[in-house]
Formats: sequence, structure tokens, C-alpha cells
Amino acid sequence: MISDIARRSFGVPSRLIPVEELSGSSAGSRMPEIRPERLTVEIAERVAAVCPTTALKLESHGDRLNLMLDYGECIGCGRCIAVGEGAVMAANRLQCCGGSREQLICSWDVRTGTEQVRAGSPERIRAEIFSWVGRALNIRQLDSGSCNGCEAEIVALTNPYYDLERFGIHFVASPKHADMLLVTGPVTRNMAEAVKKTYEATPHPKLVVAVGACGCGGGIFAASPEVVGGVSSVLPVDGYIPGCPPTPAMLVSGILEVMRRLTGTRRR
Amino acid sequence: MTAGITTSELLRLFDTSLTDAPRLVSLFGRKQDDHKYLHYILDLPDVGYREFAYLVEGVVPSATRVSPAAAWHERELHEEFGVEFTDHPGLLPLRRHSPERRETPQPNEVRSPRLRHGEFLQVQGTGVCEVPVGPVHAGIIEPGHFRFSVIGDSVLHLQLRLFYTHKGTEKLFEGSLANEALPIAESVSGDNCFAHAIAYCMALEKVFGVHVPQRTDAVRLIGLELERLWSHVVDFGALCGDVGFSVPAAYCARIKEDLLQASTRFSGTRYWRAIAVPGGVTFDPTPSAVQDLSRAVGDAAADFAVLARMALETPSVQDRFETAGILSPKVAKDFAVVGPAARASGIKKDVRIDHPYGGYGNFQLDVPCYECGDVMARARVRVDEAMSSARLIVEQLASFPAGEVRPPVSMSGSGEGFAAVEAPRGELLYWLKVNEGRIARCHVRSPSFQNWQALPFAVAGNIIADFPLINKSFNLSYSGCDR
Repeated sequence: MISDIARRSFGVPSRLIPVEELSGSSAGSRMPEIRPERLTVEIAERVAAVCPTTALKLESHGDRLNLMLDYGECIGCGRCIAVGEGAVMAANRLQCCGGSREQLICSWDVRTGTEQVRAGSPERIRAEIFSWVGRALNIRQLDSGSCNGCEAEIVALTNPYYDLERFGIHFVASPKHADMLLVTGPVTRNMAEAVKKTYEATPHPKLVVAVGACGCGGGIFAASPEVVGGVSSVLPVDGYIPGCPPTPAMLVSGILEVMRRLTGTRRR
Repeated sequence: MTAGITTSELLRLFDTSLTDAPRLVSLFGRKQDDHKYLHYILDLPDVGYREFAYLVEGVVPSATRVSPAAAWHERELHEEFGVEFTDHPGLLPLRRHSPERRETPQPNEVRSPRLRHGEFLQVQGTGVCEVPVGPVHAGIIEPGHFRFSVIGDSVLHLQLRLFYTHKGTEKLFEGSLANEALPIAESVSGDNCFAHAIAYCMALEKVFGVHVPQRTDAVRLIGLELERLWSHVVDFGALCGDVGFSVPAAYCARIKEDLLQASTRFSGTRYWRAIAVPGGVTFDPTPSAVQDLSRAVGDAAADFAVLARMALETPSVQDRFETAGILSPKVAKDFAVVGPAARASGIKKDVRIDHPYGGYGNFQLDVPCYECGDVMARARVRVDEAMSSARLIVEQLASFPAGEVRPPVSMSGSGEGFAAVEAPRGELLYWLKVNEGRIARCHVRSPSFQNWQALPFAVAGNIIADFPLINKSFNLSYSGCDR
């Protein structure tokens, strides 16, 4: 009896599923997939009503109605697929794992059918930063010859209104502790060497973000013989935040945008 | 143009060992048709600002021996204009740090009995260590190099190397149309950009004899006092932060942000950039905006008053602030120190009182003055001035004159003139020469250029751990000094 089973098993060659097929495959899970172009208010209300958990729910923001799908709560019961009239389908391929709980939540505007790219919540941004550097993002601000206008606004990032620390972003005292150099001002001839040395002292991986009109391209000082140029004239620059000076809000969104682009974890 | 006295007579005039000596406000050079001119601007007691211009012929007697305040001015003149001075203690270049950076090498490179270009003074002896700090500092602040000679914790000597943010700003003005160079003035010291813009506009208005309407003066006064208010509030917070008292530091940062947001509602900008124009301002506040700002400033002042009192009554703050970084009245006078640092060392000078401009003549102003010259005195000056600025803003908003804010102004033609304002850091002076509507020479004497020279004297004898606190209590601008 046992030998029969063994004989049968050995007789059938096993087939290892290639990694490419594994990646993103959700066939058989009955995880739903939204076809936003077919979404109507009636369908959205129906699918939200049949969901036994609260994976699917409706939220209204002013005159906007959003359908939220939290994959983290979905048990794959398939009820929404049954009543979804083609607007909700069983997903065969789905990249729904996330570095954070937040990444499992998607949202669509029911009336226009557009997916809502939400402004990053602190948790989500923290998770993205963590996935890139393995810890909080440490920023070293470097003044390469600025007028102190950008510094005043960067200092404001730590005040109770903007509080960059909530995203897991810290300003550190040494380039040796830094992941990102936030460089302000045109690079003056007197600072060029110190700017290069600061960059060299920063461990890999590292990002350089040029801040302000002067940092982006020399600004009104570009023509001066005492100035080498914008930050990119001495360092490889990964991101630019314009403004004279950029407001704290522009700095926050600029830093987060640079992070998102570079970590590549932004959802479609 | 030349005054009727010789340079040596002039130098005797502002010998600081005399009790009634005039104060050196600025000293700068100018080239015209292959001739070099020196301009001395003095503040004469009971007379006011006086300008003396001299044609440079040969070697000029140095003013540094009679008034140390001239030391850096003469070094700059030597470096930029090749002016030779007799008897200067050390004509080393300020702006270019190493001889290779020199545009035109001078034949006689050794200009000081002790130091060469790019060297630091070495303090020798058993147990003396050198601590180099900067140019890149630990905080979100501007770059500069400090070379401490210490024995144990005590600082024996501090030598500064600044001008890392030297951007050739004065030269950038040259050739620009007078009314188009404003963004350059606003970028000399970005956190005091409105004071710079107003000083520049006032100098231009002097050159062309432009009359400024009362309503414009009122808007300008509000902008200048707001800038002083939030500068002092945030400086006070930073002082608390430097002694590890982070609660007032965070509160002050909040109050400043409240003021910046109120200022955005009032003027459309946080730091009042692009508001000042020669002869006017670019916006006319509505009655509701006036009311809103008045409320915001009142709230900020009330919060700050409670906070400052709480902080200054805290024993650990008193322990760190008192007797730290004493700037003696003698040193302050010798270096012609200005602004809150001067008023904390017994020198009761304030441009708003001594040389009233704009709308300041209409108000009773309280100018605080303390004698001790320590960090505590400078902190108290800032607190008092912040409160007085808030009162002034509220008073001005309550009696807002009617009329236009931006009359048409013609600025063709030529001329020269200067104007000074009391910026948050002290007296700020712009000197302009205009040729056919274009700037031929612009000299900026920022308060920090004067005050940096006195800082090492306030630091010597203190422990090195107190340096950040002492430095912060002066709150000097690097970019304003380096230009």
C-alpha cells in the first residue's frame, strides 16, 4: 500500500513554479480587483454592503465619494465579485503586499473612476523610508553659501507646525550620520572644498537634494565670479526643491517626493 | 566732495580713547576714472551721520590704531582695492582664504608680524590645545570657521575665519538698474531681508529725493518691527535651547511660525520679500487684514511675555546666562558694536531714536539698555525689544494713515547717498552711487560685520562649552557679514 503511493509519486516529475510566475500571482485567492472605469455609485454601494468585513467601504469627502479597498481586511469571500457586475473581478495578478499596513489600502473616486493617490500618512512614509535605509532618514543640512533665508525655513521644519520628526526624519549634526544632504545656497568658491569633503564624509547610500533657487542653479548669484554655481556644479544631485526661499510646506513635500521617487515604492 | 580736513585730522577725530569720540559707522572704497576714493561715515554726537570722502594718494594712515572698529574695513580695502595703510596691525586678506585664491598677488605677501595669509595664530605653552570648528557646523546654521586655543576647558584665544559665504554681492549690484537690484539686497542676509530691502530703498530715495507717503511708511514700519519681533522671539528660544531648555525653544518656534503665517495673510509673503520698492510698497492692506494682524501680534506678544518671564526666572537658565560671554563696554565702544549687543553693554544707541526715519518719528519708543554685557543682558534686551516692537505694531495698526502706498517714482539720473535702518541685529547701512539710473557702487555695512570683530573678546576666558550659547546671544549673520 505505502509502496504504491511512493511508486506513483516518483513516477510523476514534480514541477517547480518559476519565480516570475509566483511574483504577483493571486490566482485562486478570490482577492478582488477593481475596474474603476466600470464603477458606478450603485455598484459601489452594493459591494460595500455585501462585504462581511469592512475591507470595502465608502467614504465621502465633500462632494466626492471614494470606494476604499483594504486588502488587509479582505478574506476572499468573493461576494463582491458576485454582485460587482464586472466592476469587481477576481484578481489573478496583484501586488498587494506592503512594507506597511497603509500600503494595503487603495481608494478610487467612484464618480470619475480615478485612483486616489493619497498624500503619504506619517506611518506610510516612515515605512517607505525604513524600507530604503532601514531606519529613520537622517538629514544633514549643508549651507554652501546661502543667504540664510533657506536655513530659516528649514529650521521651521522642526517647529510644532511641521514637525518633520513625525515622518521619521531627523536632522543630524554630522555628515557621518546622514543619509541625505540638504544643500542650500550657491556654492561659493570659499565653500566648494568643504562641500565636497562633507559629501565624501557621508556614508553610502546617500542622497543630495538642492534647495532654493540658489541651490538649484545659482539663483541671482549665478553670475558672480565668487560663486562656482548651483549645487550640481560640485556634487551629483538627486533632487531639487525650488523657491526663494521654499516654504516649510514645499520643503516637506519636496523631501517626501524625492524619497518616494527614489525608493520606487509609490503605488501607481 | 572732499571734506575740509586731512585724513590724519579725521583719524584724530574718532579716537575712541576720547569720551565724546564719534563712532565709525563704515569705511569703504570706490574706484572712479583710475582714482581710488575712501569714504568714512561717522556718527558724530549731536550732529548725526557725516560722510568724508578722500582721494587716495599714496599710503593712507591707518585708523585701526585709534579705532579698532576700522580693522576689518581696512583689510577689505587692502584686499579689494589695493589701498596701502601705514601702521595697521595685520593687513591680511579677509575674503580669500589662501594665497592661491588671490586675484592679483601682492609683492609684499607678509603683512603681519606674526601671521601669513591663511595661517592661524598659534598660542604656545604647556597644555594649550587647538580646537578647530567648522566651516560646516552641527546645527542648521551658516558656515564659518572658529579656531580655539584652549587650556583645559578655558578659551585663551579665538580666531575667526569667516567669508565662506562671500558671494561678491556688492559687485553684483554694479551695472544693474537701480529698481531691479532689490532681489540682491534681499539676499544679502535672507532672514532680515526686509530691513535690507528698506535700507536699499531708503538710500535710493535719498539719491533721487523721493518723497515716501505716510501710508507706505506705516506698512514699512510694520514689516520692520515684525521682522524684529520674530527674530528676537526665535533668538530667545534658541538661547533656551542652547542651555537644554527645549520647552521655551519649541514655544518660541511656534510663536514665530504664528507670526509668519499672520504675515502671509497680511502681506502675501512670509518674510516680506518683494514688498519694498523704491518710493513705496507693493501691497495695500485691507481693514480686515489690519485687524487680523493686530490680533495675531497681540496674541504672540502675550504668549511670549509669559514664556520669557518663566524662562528667565528658572534658576538653571539664570545660572548659564549670567556672567557668560561678557562684552565690556570698552570693547563694545572700540569695535563700534551696534544693535542689541551694544545695548546689552551699556551703549544706548538705536537708529530709530538717534536718526529717526520713516514713520518712527511719530511714536514713543522704549529702548532697553543693560550694563552687564553678558548673555543674560543680551537675552533681556531681546525680550524687551520684542515687547516694544509688538506694542509699536499694534499702535501703528490702530492709527493707519490713509493715502496711496506706491506713487510713481522716476529714477533716472545720477547721484549718491546713504541710509541706515535699525535691523534686528543693529544698524544696517547702504551707500549707493547711481549713474544714469544704474548702480555704480553699492556698499553694504551689515551690523554683523561690525559685531563679529568683538565676539572673540566676549568668548576669551569662558569655557569652550559655553561658546555656542555666547555666539547665539550675539546671533550674527554670516552671509550679511561675508556678502
